[in-house]
Amino acid sequence: MKILIALIQKEIKQILRDPSSIIIAFVLPFISIMIYMYGINLDSVKVTMGIKNDDPNPEIATLVKSFGHSKYVNSIYFDNVKDIETAIARSKIKGAVIIPNDFSTKLSRGQNPDLLIITDGSEVNTANYVQSYAMSIANNWLATSKYAGSVKKNSINTEARTWYNPDLNSHYFIVPGSIAITMTLIGILLTSLVVAREWERGTMEAMLSTSVKTIHIVLGKYIPYFILGMFSLAFNIFLCVVIFQIPFRGSYLVLLLVSGLFLFTSLGIGLNVSSVLKNQFLASMVAMSVGFMPALMLSGLMFPINSMPVFFQHLTRILPPRYYVSFVESEFMAGTVPEIVIANSIYLTILGLVLFFAVYKNTLMRLEKVSPAQIMERQGKK
Amino acid sequence: MQNTVEIKNITKVFGKITALDDLSLNIEKGKITGLIGADGAGKTTLLRMIIGLLIPDKGEISTLGYNPVTQKDELTPHIGYMPQKFGLYEDLTVIENLILYADLKNVKHDFKKMLEFTNLDPFQDRLAGALSGGMKQKLGLACTLLGSPDFLLLDEPSVGVDPISRRDLMRMVRDMINPQTTVLWSTAYLDEAHSFDNVVVIDRGKVIYKGNPNDLAETPQEFENKVIELMGGYKQELSRIAENYKPLKDIKECTVEADNLEKKYGDFYAVKNNSFCINKGEIFGLLGPNGAGKSTSFKMMCGLAKPTNGTARIMGIDITKDPEKARSNLGYMAQKFSLYGSLTVKENLEFFAAAYGIKFTNRESKVQEIIDVFGLKDFAQQKSEELPLGLKQRLSMACALIHNPPVLFLDEPTSGVDVITRRDFWNHITSLAKKGVTILVTTHFMDEAEYCDRISLFYHGETIALGTPQELKDKAGAKTMEETFITLIKESEQ
Repeated sequence: MKILIALIQKEIKQILRDPSSIIIAFVLPFISIMIYMYGINLDSVKVTMGIKNDDPNPEIATLVKSFGHSKYVNSIYFDNVKDIETAIARSKIKGAVIIPNDFSTKLSRGQNPDLLIITDGSEVNTANYVQSYAMSIANNWLATSKYAGSVKKNSINTEARTWYNPDLNSHYFIVPGSIAITMTLIGILLTSLVVAREWERGTMEAMLSTSVKTIHIVLGKYIPYFILGMFSLAFNIFLCVVIFQIPFRGSYLVLLLVSGLFLFTSLGIGLNVSSVLKNQFLASMVAMSVGFMPALMLSGLMFPINSMPVFFQHLTRILPPRYYVSFVESEFMAGTVPEIVIANSIYLTILGLVLFFAVYKNTLMRLEKVSPAQIMERQGKK
Repeated sequence: MQNTVEIKNITKVFGKITALDDLSLNIEKGKITGLIGADGAGKTTLLRMIIGLLIPDKGEISTLGYNPVTQKDELTPHIGYMPQKFGLYEDLTVIENLILYADLKNVKHDFKKMLEFTNLDPFQDRLAGALSGGMKQKLGLACTLLGSPDFLLLDEPSVGVDPISRRDLMRMVRDMINPQTTVLWSTAYLDEAHSFDNVVVIDRGKVIYKGNPNDLAETPQEFENKVIELMGGYKQELSRIAENYKPLKDIKECTVEADNLEKKYGDFYAVKNNSFCINKGEIFGLLGPNGAGKSTSFKMMCGLAKPTNGTARIMGIDITKDPEKARSNLGYMAQKFSLYGSLTVKENLEFFAAAYGIKFTNRESKVQEIIDVFGLKDFAQQKSEELPLGLKQRLSMACALIHNPPVLFLDEPTSGVDVITRRDFWNHITSLAKKGVTILVTTHFMDEAEYCDRISLFYHGETIALGTPQELKDKAGAKTMEETFITLIKESEQ
């Protein structure tokens, strides 16, 4: 016990004296939350589109005007199609609406009129916005225009209501999701360096010739970085909830518990990488690719998992970030959902224990890896 | 029990290399035994095996009556092991390192005697990483000595340490142990080994001599010759490196000149009023304790650090005014192996040929020539990190000489190198000097200082003595260079 405490104290002193661990634990989350808050926006944005009206009917001019009044659209009026083509090609406008010359005639006859919407398929997301904005502006105009009664209404009236995030504000799920990234960085990147460092600097060799046992080495790494991770978590939650005012509907206790489990699995990955590779550079590269990249791309945070290729969908089931990201998002936006909490916790616990066991097995007490069976065999050969 | 360690027929193979080959050895209790041998002879492997950090492929070991393979946990509380890199935590302070190792060894926090003895008392709160080489070694040894182990194993504790620190280290071990303690001390300094009770010479994984060093030879110098003989002997051949060296014409007197060199950090002078003038073909040695300012002088001389005052001239070219032109006359061999480990021997040479501005058309033939002359043919396609230390040094020298520089700077070129390789190395250096190459060298081996034409003894940033080795010895009234060194340093302190 005395040995373990000494090792933990040593590790904490090293953490406090190493600016990089403080940067990863506190400065990096701040920067990443800032980026997710102000830099990344998955919501609809104001798009610039062209409009060309071939219908001389003055009533239609009000439709053109309503494009100008929309808060989602910046409209530019064009006189001929050639100009529209060049403007799209030069990306000055993201799409265009062309009102044909028989638009009002068809409307007054009670027929369904046509409206041409051109979009720029090289930016698919924006193209979708252009299309839906144009349609909703046209429909809104129709409902309030004098043709309102003349066109057949759709037989089903839909009314959309978005639960948990009524404003469809993507910050509400991305910013808490970034906690997962910070936790991964602390759990995997930071710890991937710590065992390798002891090997490189020769301190491991000195330590192995003292009374230290495997469990001391393993816990002596797990505990200090777990503490650091939990402090960083608290700081992250503070940033999200207090500074950036992200609504939190769940329970802080549940959040801390499940985050702790996630941190436990991440530490397991990092320490395994470090114990096996014994080289800081290699370990940090591997940690980046098995830890950071999946947390960013395969967790469902940025890209929806069910739109991934089947192989990657299966891959996300193995990696811990998916379970944590879905939990964090629901905890923040929908409150504690027992099914999610329990299922994800069970998986994280099992994975964390398996990894802990692997770290224990990979922590060598000698300078070479020799199994007890091999020792017995060599002893037998006397 | 008479023997602390009993080894019977152990063999250890790493891949293709046989590190220990059917080796048997007993180490007597209560004695200091020196372990010597060439680089890669198996010294470190043997030490690690004795304490169970490595496991033999074949054979049996008994250490303090325990089997290190199966009873490592029982054995470790009785031993103190200092690995080559000392095992210190550089981001912990002196006292924190001591506390940590005391806890890991389950001993009391009683460091008073240890701190006084090592003179580390005033530096308790300094980070281990900020200590000088000699102090690091003392701290490493202090951590190893905690808990008064029955058996002390030291793996080359005195590499790169000046004679004064080495003497302190030796005194520390002798004073801190009791008559029952066994010490196994691996070293590259043969004068050190000569002062031990017993000496074991191993070569290519086998013990080739074991016994009292005085039985082998009475003086350290003879002892060195005997050991070299045991290892197969060293035949001094004509240095092909020097033979192929094309001397440059425009050589003047005072090829290397330091003119009032000064480096100041805040209020602290790292180097002060350093002036000397080295002539063509002279070997000039820069000697001094760790931290005296040798490396800083060196860096300023080759334009890697800017002097706060004064300047240096290489072949008459001012290093502060035209560093590139001055450097083109210079071959530099750094203290640490500073070649590209993942490149092959040939690729390294090609790179340095290009870096020194050798024309593309001449490059291939120049590289081939260097490979031939330096005897690197068999290793040309090998990665340089895989080479044994002696060959690494030779490759470093080849890279430094590829552009036929009239001046050669060598910063501790023989640190951690075995006797035979050192002899060979100095054969090349003296031969090159005869060809007219000006050589500036630093070293901690006092026997090497004898090879120098003139020596500047450096202490606290200032030259305290300058002259031929004989002149310095006369001045100090000492017989050996080591005594001279210690006497002159002590005198300057008063």
